[in-house]
Amino acid sequence: MKFFEILRLVWVNIIENKSKVLLTSLGIVVGSATIVLVIAIGHGGQVDVEEQFKNLNVGAIEVTIGQSLDAMMDKMMENGGIAPGGMPNGAMPSGGNMPSGGGMPSGVGMAGGGMSSGAGSSNRNSFAARQNNFRVEFTASDIEDIRNLVPNISAVSLLASGDGAVLGGDLEEETTYTIVGTMSDYVSISNLELLYGDFFTDEDLENKSKVAVIGYTAAQEIFGSAYYAQGQSIQIEGKNYDIVGILKSMGTVSSGISPDEAIYVPYDTAKKFIFGNNIETQISAVASDVKQVKTVMDNIETVLKENYPNASFTLTDAGSKMEAATESANTLSMLLIAVASIVFIVGGIGIMNVLFVSVKERTSEIGILKALGCSRREILLEFLMESNFIATFGGIIGVGVGFALVPIVKMTGMTLAPLPIGGILAVLFAVLTGTVFGFYPAYKASVLTPIKALSEE
Amino acid sequence: MEQVIKIENIHKWYKMGENSLEVLKGVSLEVSEGEFLAILGPSGSGKSTLMNIIGCMDDFQEGQYWLTGEPVHEMNDAQLTYMRNAQIGFIFQKYHLIGKYTVLQNVMMPLLIRGYSSHKAAEIAAEKLEMLEMGNRLSHKPNELSGGQQQRVAIARALVGHPKLLLADEPTGALDSATGKEVLKLFEELNEKGHTIVMITHDLQVASHAKRIVKIIDGELFEEGEPAKASSM
Repeated sequence: MKFFEILRLVWVNIIENKSKVLLTSLGIVVGSATIVLVIAIGHGGQVDVEEQFKNLNVGAIEVTIGQSLDAMMDKMMENGGIAPGGMPNGAMPSGGNMPSGGGMPSGVGMAGGGMSSGAGSSNRNSFAARQNNFRVEFTASDIEDIRNLVPNISAVSLLASGDGAVLGGDLEEETTYTIVGTMSDYVSISNLELLYGDFFTDEDLENKSKVAVIGYTAAQEIFGSAYYAQGQSIQIEGKNYDIVGILKSMGTVSSGISPDEAIYVPYDTAKKFIFGNNIETQISAVASDVKQVKTVMDNIETVLKENYPNASFTLTDAGSKMEAATESANTLSMLLIAVASIVFIVGGIGIMNVLFVSVKERTSEIGILKALGCSRREILLEFLMESNFIATFGGIIGVGVGFALVPIVKMTGMTLAPLPIGGILAVLFAVLTGTVFGFYPAYKASVLTPIKALSEE
Repeated sequence: MEQVIKIENIHKWYKMGENSLEVLKGVSLEVSEGEFLAILGPSGSGKSTLMNIIGCMDDFQEGQYWLTGEPVHEMNDAQLTYMRNAQIGFIFQKYHLIGKYTVLQNVMMPLLIRGYSSHKAAEIAAEKLEMLEMGNRLSHKPNELSGGQQQRVAIARALVGHPKLLLADEPTGALDSATGKEVLKLFEELNEKGHTIVMITHDLQVASHAKRIVKIIDGELFEEGEPAKASSM
């Protein structure tokens, strides 16, 4: 029999059993839609990761203070309070000597409320070391030490961020923006690109110049467009800042600072005029050789340990973060693929059951066809194509349903990035399911002897 | 005359646990081209088994069978399938038309299996149905026809591929006597036109329409007129 004629027979069977085909294909519809969504969610996760890390160097390293307040308290109590010399009474005054957020101008954080103003300079080092237990604030001298002592570093910068009230441009009232105090190296660490103007310089840092570089979205919000922000000034916490640069639209980053909505000012300026002593610093650095990231991290920690012997630090690198985030996205994808596979298996079993029933119902027909000279191969092909048709039909409908569901699922806040390959894969999986699960019933039909088939009415 | 069927000493038995039941005990038969043969036998005599073997639908343990000179006893499944399509036209007691296909599609089927295009197959099938006075029922489904009409369609399907042998199994078994007579008359006409017909029946009246009758009793075949067992039927 010609292949086309077998197709015609299959078509007649499908038309004769429309509702059965529809119901049988439901499992495959669900399976295909799941595949499309799984791939969209998996790819969405990857897009998320890429989006978050696109402005970060793979060799980027972040250093934060690792000791928690509770741990510091425990340690302090263990030591029986602060040693004499640093404190007026040699012990911790009740409720008075805890860090209140004040930073020590010399660079080592000081307890704001409990510190005696009479602490002498001769005791400064030992006192500073003890104060490590409370609060460490990185300083420009730490940056200098790292720059001088740690090899394979291409850029290193201080970084502090917080909210600041901004007024200017089209803003009718003070609006809160993220203010980032940093150094000139930060531009290369975070791969910031300027649309207009320049990033501030080391000179601005030294002079505590009131200059600012604003993110693309912030410029749009404050001045209507990035273009109009050029040469303008804004007020941050009541003080005027000249805008020296406007960033290109950058998207989001993992460090929690979105460059588009942030306003960058020199670190020392931020510290003096915006954050005051209430500042939490971190260090950002970039290893010049990606293979040396681990060594560079160890060396930075060694330098910082030297400066703050009692403090602990948390060092993370962008590569590990990216790896972890990608791994997590991949795990999610694998989990979803497992779910989709189960759905397909269930759908396939559904097809197999219906085909078995169909073979049983059509035993007499198979017998007639065999008596008339239909070969095993033709019977096998007919039933296989029938199961494939059901599966392909279900697969195509499922792909449509899957793509239609994407915007609905997006409403839940998930990032979905549907791919055409998702649709192709879903249909291929459907065809595979139809073939695998349709084969056994088709085979059973093909090996029926004509006498046996004709005798079963 | 060319020999259409030549069967020599066929034995067929079924295994039933440790025992076996022999249903054909050394059957031999020759049918020449243009013959109209009736195989007459009561229920359980082995006539259906013999028909299945003649129709290349069943195998046998011993003996030899040539159909139009081809050694069926040496054939594999694919070759038997080919023989069924090319050399034999089946007419069943219960018509065995496929209910979801139209009359025309049912009659086209042997030609489609043979590899004809549907256009050509439809043309030939329509001609055959016209010849059997079913030309006005081409697009009907089998369940819209009477028993006699369905049997006519089945005969058209058997004839459409110009087989060497028409093999009819109790062709009037499901019909009333008047319709049955019409069908038998049709067989006679077809035989007069040169078709070789082998008809299986348990009814002597039906068998009497054939030119030659062989009787089958307990798996053994006897030409009509042979004494003993034949007269005991």
